Amino acid sequence: MSCMKFRILLSSYLDQEITKDEEKKLLQHLQTCPDCARELEHLEKIKRIFLLKERKEPREFFETRLFEHIKNRTKQPVWRSYFPVFRRTVVVILVLFLVIVGWVNYRKLFYPRTTEIISDLLLDEEINENFEQELLEAYYGPLG
Amino acid sequence: MEEDFKLLTKFKQGDQEAFASLVKKYKMAVFNTIYSIIGDTQEADDIAQEVFLKVYTKAGSFKRKSSFSTWLYKITVNKCIDELRKRKNKIISLETEFDEDEKLKLKDVLASKEGDITEEWEKEELEDTIQKAINSLPEKDRIILTLKEIENLSYKEISQIMKISLDKVKVWLFRARQKLKEKLLFLYPEG
Repeated sequence: MSCMKFRILLSSYLDQEITKDEEKKLLQHLQTCPDCARELEHLEKIKRIFLLKERKEPREFFETRLFEHIKNRTKQPVWRSYFPVFRRTVVVILVLFLVIVGWVNYRKLFYPRTTEIISDLLLDEEINENFEQELLEAYYGPLG
Repeated sequence: MEEDFKLLTKFKQGDQEAFASLVKKYKMAVFNTIYSIIGDTQEADDIAQEVFLKVYTKAGSFKRKSSFSTWLYKITVNKCIDELRKRKNKIISLETEFDEDEKLKLKDVLASKEGDITEEWEKEELEDTIQKAINSLPEKDRIILTLKEIENLSYKEISQIMKISLDKVKVWLFRARQKLKEKLLFLYPEG
């Protein structure tokens, strides 16, 4: 096993996260490798640095501030407190409304109503004039 | 672990006191994890509040796939990652360079057999020096070192929190320690 692999094992050894077999091999290697033995000392020093680090306290009244924070963030507007009761009804009405509106527009687009066609004809003056002439010809025969 | 589950179940049934007990039990762990990763006490306090707010609102979605503490640490680490990402867009400089006084102080403390300091201001100074060393590391190394060295979690817990394999935990910790060693080379005069 290379020194690099033993050094990774050194880190795990310090954390006591090493198997018995790995530990045996590592301890044997440390007896013959002064560089890895020195590395172990260095790593132990780093571990000691963290032991010197004291645990800090959060600011005063942490819980009080937290519950106030929770109250503010989870507060719902009045209308939302009633919303769950009517939610299903509202959703059903909304879906029905959308279906009806969609159907009406679909009909309008592909099947224009006859009254609309007639009103279009009446609005068109040229068509209107021809219609009158045709009507006269039908009664009195071809005109002049 | 069972006690946490019991408290959580009570809380889900509407017992606010049970939630308060969980906050009391874990507030130091959450706060110190955030402080170690973020490096600022004021921000650590704000983020800790956000973490517990999330626990409050998401407690219903907690499945017993892991312990409550693992779930809590996962939320904590994720909040820290979000904060660090936000910071990438801002210019926030944390002190990472040591002055001569700090170097000597750390050397002295480590040289003394018990590493004992009695004066309060000395403790605070040393605390700042150690935090500077952590601040100087990349995000990933800060997180893994914090979970191991500050929170003393097992490799298995770390692998669950960071969603990485046990082998990766070993290698990442080794690399993080190597980087920290490079930052603290002044402690090793013999090289």
